[in-house]
Amino acid sequence: MRKTTFLSLAVILLMGAAASSQGREFVTVAPVGPVTVRVGSRAPMQITLHVQPGYHINSNKPLAEELIPTQVHFLPPEDLVIAKVEYPAGVLTSFPFDPTTRLSVYSGDVTVKAIVLPVPKAGVGTYTVHAEVKYQACDNNACYPPKKVPVAFDVKITSSTSKLPKAKPTRTSPHIHN
Amino acid sequence: MNRSLLLTTVALVLCVAAGAKPWPRGQQDANHPHSSGPEIGTAAPDFTLKVVDGKGETMQLSSLQGKAVLVNFWATWCEPCKIEMPWLAELQKKYGPEGLQIIGVAVDDADAKTISDFAHKMGVNYPVLQGTEKVADMYGGVEGLPTSFFIDRSGKVSDKILGLVSESVIEDAIKKSLEQKGDTKTAAAK
Repeated sequence: MRKTTFLSLAVILLMGAAASSQGREFVTVAPVGPVTVRVGSRAPMQITLHVQPGYHINSNKPLAEELIPTQVHFLPPEDLVIAKVEYPAGVLTSFPFDPTTRLSVYSGDVTVKAIVLPVPKAGVGTYTVHAEVKYQACDNNACYPPKKVPVAFDVKITSSTSKLPKAKPTRTSPHIHN
Repeated sequence: MNRSLLLTTVALVLCVAAGAKPWPRGQQDANHPHSSGPEIGTAAPDFTLKVVDGKGETMQLSSLQGKAVLVNFWATWCEPCKIEMPWLAELQKKYGPEGLQIIGVAVDDADAKTISDFAHKMGVNYPVLQGTEKVADMYGGVEGLPTSFFIDRSGKVSDKILGLVSESVIEDAIKKSLEQKGDTKTAAAK
């Protein structure tokens, strides 16, 4: 019992140290629900980012070239294409550190939309699409290094004729390593 | 069982305490990431970094012994840093003759030319060095920008500021670092 307690203590301490070194997340990504699409068809999907209160991130089209845009990078498996990625327009905002300049930023909830398309010869089945959200956050007096958040969601491809999809092994896009 | 509970509670308290060390100032938001870095009054960790656009030249912090040094971590993507840089250039001009040397450390993935052009555009009149992760770690991880460390003439950290503050706050910290005469033979920590 004593040994178990000390092991638990060590694990908790290590977890605490790891969490401390990883720093704070300025943006969280809402879980993306499964998308169902028929072969020869297309389906919409969206990723919602939650920017933590008090922080902002650059929009997808920041007004200065040195600023890092918010981007979602999709890595779909071969049977799928992710197209027409649409970012919301940034909100032109000035901040206390420079009231004379306006920046194109996102804050609060940000929804990025896209279309999921199976390739013509796509097999019926469930596929996992991996993606990565890249952003760079600031608050009213400091900026924080760019971060990447991995995202994954399932896409179920069904036959263009049959209502019931045939079961197939799950396929997946390459994982993204930070 | 009570003992287990007590030990677990102690562990949890230690975890929370480990992540609760605040920055001295420039931190108006309690949620700012904190980074211990070298403490005030301790020797500034020494480093050698490439001078941006310096044709391979390097600069070692400890070579500046006897001067008051302001090490300013910044990046091209940091808007508050852009506000501060012209102030720093002005302060370098004002206090350089008294023994101040400002050093910009770019914590940036941009190439040397981009960094150099940007610094030039901002009117920077002090050396800009290409930062590395190792040096950032030596200074507490530099989780937020701008971050400045003020080092007195004896090589000890006299102040540190995370985030943009007013020019007068920076100037006060510079004056404090210049005041310290100390042992000028003491170099930065190796």
